[in-house]
Amino acid sequence: MHRFPATKRILEMVGDLPIVANLGPTSDELWHAGHRDRNFYTYGSMGLCSSIALGMALSTSDKVISLDGDGSLLMNLGTIATIGRESPANLIVIAWDNEQWGQTGGQATHTAFGTDLASVAQSCGIRKTATVHDEEELESALAQALEEDGPWFITAKIVEEPESMPVAPNEPEMTTYRFRGTYGG
Amino acid sequence: MTTQNNAWAETIAAALKDAGVSLIAYVPDVSIHRVTELLERDDFFHVVAATREEEAIGVAAGAYAVGRNAAVFMQSSGFGNCVNALASLCLPARIPVPMFINMRGEVGEFNIAQVAMGRATRPALDTLGIQHYTLESEDRLGLRVAGALKLCYASRQPLALCLTPLLHGGKLA
Repeated sequence: MHRFPATKRILEMVGDLPIVANLGPTSDELWHAGHRDRNFYTYGSMGLCSSIALGMALSTSDKVISLDGDGSLLMNLGTIATIGRESPANLIVIAWDNEQWGQTGGQATHTAFGTDLASVAQSCGIRKTATVHDEEELESALAQALEEDGPWFITAKIVEEPESMPVAPNEPEMTTYRFRGTYGG
Repeated sequence: MTTQNNAWAETIAAALKDAGVSLIAYVPDVSIHRVTELLERDDFFHVVAATREEEAIGVAAGAYAVGRNAAVFMQSSGFGNCVNALASLCLPARIPVPMFINMRGEVGEFNIAQVAMGRATRPALDTLGIQHYTLESEDRLGLRVAGALKLCYASRQPLALCLTPLLHGGKLA
């Protein structure tokens, strides 16, 4: 599965729901797939994408979608345990898993050696998990996650793209206040 | 523990409530526990136990992004664990997160491993351009905390309140 067309499909499915995107290509591709006020792009703080989404999910009744990554989640596996402990029904984590640190030279991550993020989620008390390999499976899992209470953890296996898309012309401060403005802040 | 004066903790809890800070993310510490246990008993607050301090910063940032004020409680050792979250998330994205940091490595410290990070905490905050105030007595404590929270949200920057043993009198462990 390729991340960019899958991201486009996610955008079509989630309507106005808030999306938090991991740093780098995940945020850039989300911008190119469909820039909107409820895209919370991140620029640094590697590992915190789903922690930010957790804070949102605990503070709004909207379903919140986190587009995280394998390398980033490996930096903050503890947040999967916190998601399990808090168990917000409205949180959907989608972990793009290309089994590599794509931005630093394509070094293999631990998911290339057997670490199964969906199993980690299960063992942390997140009962609704799925591992998807193509857009059809992703669509089906996300449709269910949007319908049923979570939290959900979906590992989406992707292939790393040889070329990165242009960096999205965004500023972090604008992202915060554009996003927050949709919540009256 | 029950015989200790807890007025300082009650003052902090009241100031948070007055400022509408209703989500608290924390990594435990014996002294800040005296505040977080008060917050956990009050339905106004949602208290989230984080596994690591940078995670707590992320949770607080997410809450703010949807319009809820959120604070973080940690120990000075844990401040070292969240420097990049402050530098690459809260500062560029202008996300105000009040941090209550229990200072280790100061008068009365018994653990050598706490000294260097305790000593480095305020200089690191200064280097990041994060304002910080030290709370070491109950003198005008409510005013100081309320003022710091107001400043934090007005400046849209993280801010630190450093709690010392002179404030809480607790043992440093």
